[in-house]
Amino acid sequence: MEKKQNNEEVKKEKNKMTKKSKILIAIIAIIIIAGAIITATIGLNFDLRYKESKKIELYLQKDFNISDIKQITDEVMQGTEVVIQKVEVFEDTVSIRAQDITDEQKQGIIDKVNEKYGTEISKDDIETETIPNTRGRDIIKPYILPFSIATLIILVYIAVRYRKLKVLKTVLKTIFILILSQVVLLSIMAITRIPIGIVTIPLIIIVYLLTLIGITTYFEKELSKMKQKEAGE
Amino acid sequence: MKKIKILTIILGIVLITMVAFFGVYVQKQNRMEDKVKDYSYAMDLKGGRNIRLTVDDTVDTVIKDADGNEVTDADSLTDEELAEKGYTKEETKANSEEVLNEENYLKSKEIVEKRLNELGVDNYVVDIDETSGDILIEIPENDNTDNVVSNIGTTGKFEIIDADTEEVLMDNSDIKSAKVMYGAASATSSGTSVYLDIEFNKEGTGKLKDISTTYVQTNTTNETNTTNNTTTDEATSSEETEDTEKQITMKIDDEEIMTTSFDETIETGRLSLSVGTASTDAQTLQGYINQASSMAIVLDNGNMPIKYTVSENKYILSDITQNEINIILYVILAIAVLALLVLIFRYKTMGIINAFSYIGLVALFLLILRYTNVVISIESIFGIAVILILNYIFINKLLSKLKKEEKVDKATISVAIKETYKEFFIKIIPIIIAVITFCFIRWEPISSFGMVMFWGILLISLYNISITNLLVRIKESKGGKNKNGKETK
Repeated sequence: MEKKQNNEEVKKEKNKMTKKSKILIAIIAIIIIAGAIITATIGLNFDLRYKESKKIELYLQKDFNISDIKQITDEVMQGTEVVIQKVEVFEDTVSIRAQDITDEQKQGIIDKVNEKYGTEISKDDIETETIPNTRGRDIIKPYILPFSIATLIILVYIAVRYRKLKVLKTVLKTIFILILSQVVLLSIMAITRIPIGIVTIPLIIIVYLLTLIGITTYFEKELSKMKQKEAGE
Repeated sequence: MKKIKILTIILGIVLITMVAFFGVYVQKQNRMEDKVKDYSYAMDLKGGRNIRLTVDDTVDTVIKDADGNEVTDADSLTDEELAEKGYTKEETKANSEEVLNEENYLKSKEIVEKRLNELGVDNYVVDIDETSGDILIEIPENDNTDNVVSNIGTTGKFEIIDADTEEVLMDNSDIKSAKVMYGAASATSSGTSVYLDIEFNKEGTGKLKDISTTYVQTNTTNETNTTNNTTTDEATSSEETEDTEKQITMKIDDEEIMTTSFDETIETGRLSLSVGTASTDAQTLQGYINQASSMAIVLDNGNMPIKYTVSENKYILSDITQNEINIILYVILAIAVLALLVLIFRYKTMGIINAFSYIGLVALFLLILRYTNVVISIESIFGIAVILILNYIFINKLLSKLKKEEKVDKATISVAIKETYKEFFIKIIPIIIAVITFCFIRWEPISSFGMVMFWGILLISLYNISITNLLVRIKESKGGKNKNGKETK
């Protein structure tokens, strides 16, 4: 009687797990499909530093605060994303970068800078440079080799450590989950329009490491279950 | 005694924390100077050298005579004078219209990237304007930057031409690889010679063999018989030796490197060119090595299909200001403080002691990062956060194990620590593998992350077995306690 009850409890538990798994798979599938559609239609949202943009440089002849320049650009270019950087070791030149800088905006910035810093910068002296975009593949390229080498060594370790759980199965599962986690991350970034910027690569690394912890924890559990079974027999 | 021991350790931790977070200030020339080494920052946080390579649009005017040979001393002549002499003016563009296309722009970008890799630049951004062909490069600012800048813009055009006819005998397509070699100057003299060793491909080896057979110094002996009829009627003969030399000229980027002939046939497909010899002066020798390696790098990666000029070369600071970095660090610290409060709330006195231990680890970790020259990048800041989380998980695991124990004594502490170590490190073995791999990668953002994680994990393993372990043991040293905190005999 007790055995029957136990079996039923195990079956119920398994059913619960299968239901949970199905829901999880459905959510992941929706995220990936939505992400793929958005990427294919609108594309990923790249940060200004990776977009094609315009840049002007103003020689202020004195040290300045980035926040002051930010205030000026906010007034002239309302609602526009702007990157402000100090130029050269003396930090007396400012570089202003935005997706587009019109002649009026340029004039507006120059007027306000002249007023604030007492400079006599003329619009004609300032050239608007075009900064080309950084291609997505160029951002990822340097990371492909390190990740491939690390993954390869990790797969060898997993194959050896969890050989009792069937080598091919564990290796394929690991590869699949590692890829899946990155695809989900990129899909979420595409859906939520989180810009592809300086934190994207760190996020990819963190997700990669977290996935590895998840995979190891899962395999460890499976291994201990198998050991318990073997001990029981 | 137990309290004194704990207090001593905690005071030590507080001291390290003060040093790590606030520094050690010493008066130096009427100002206070922090004696604690500063962090090294990566390009994304410190800024870098921004270089713009612009497609060369200069037009050179060449004056040629009626036979089509270049006339070098006719610059001052007027158009009429040129016409009188039969000279013609020809305009040659640095880049012909045919080469200015997207394919060549992308090829140039690829060559720039290869050169940057070979020049040891471990972090760079190379963008190309596919319409104008301009290449924008951002590289870290250091002692090597100027050397890199001088090498990336060069065309790298290699030619071996006939010194007389200027016929191109060999070019970049014949080169397999180029490298720097150095060895003893000669058997009799001391000193070191630096060579640029060019290895040619199969076709180039054949060409070099032919050239080295043809372009040699030859001695031709002419025997002349003369008859003196006036006095002795005796025939005399004399020998005249005539040196004829066919020479080649080697050019790199249209600049003449040398004009020479060959002593023997070269069948190996290698050409070693002496760059210089230095007897004792290490600086001169290093200069020759740098010069040779620059040439080798340029030749090794093929020539750029387009001629570029460096139109911008500026150091631009990062758009991430110190303030923004501080904000990120304070947010991480605030989260850590909150997490420690949870630890204290859950584990009471043991939580407080371990919170101190945790702070000590953070302080020591930051000091290690300063003194091991680990470069701090955006990636490594995330690495620091991961280490803080991992150590929190470790301590939490250990304390929850101890809390579960009926009786906490030396033996149970040992078992709890051993189990925590085993469980924790088995789970992070793949992370350790990844981290060690990243440490060996020559790409600053990833290697800095790897280094931060490596030192962090090493510290977690050593610090917790010594300091955390010690604190826990001292705390529980006077007899055991049951889970309700009551002393047991």
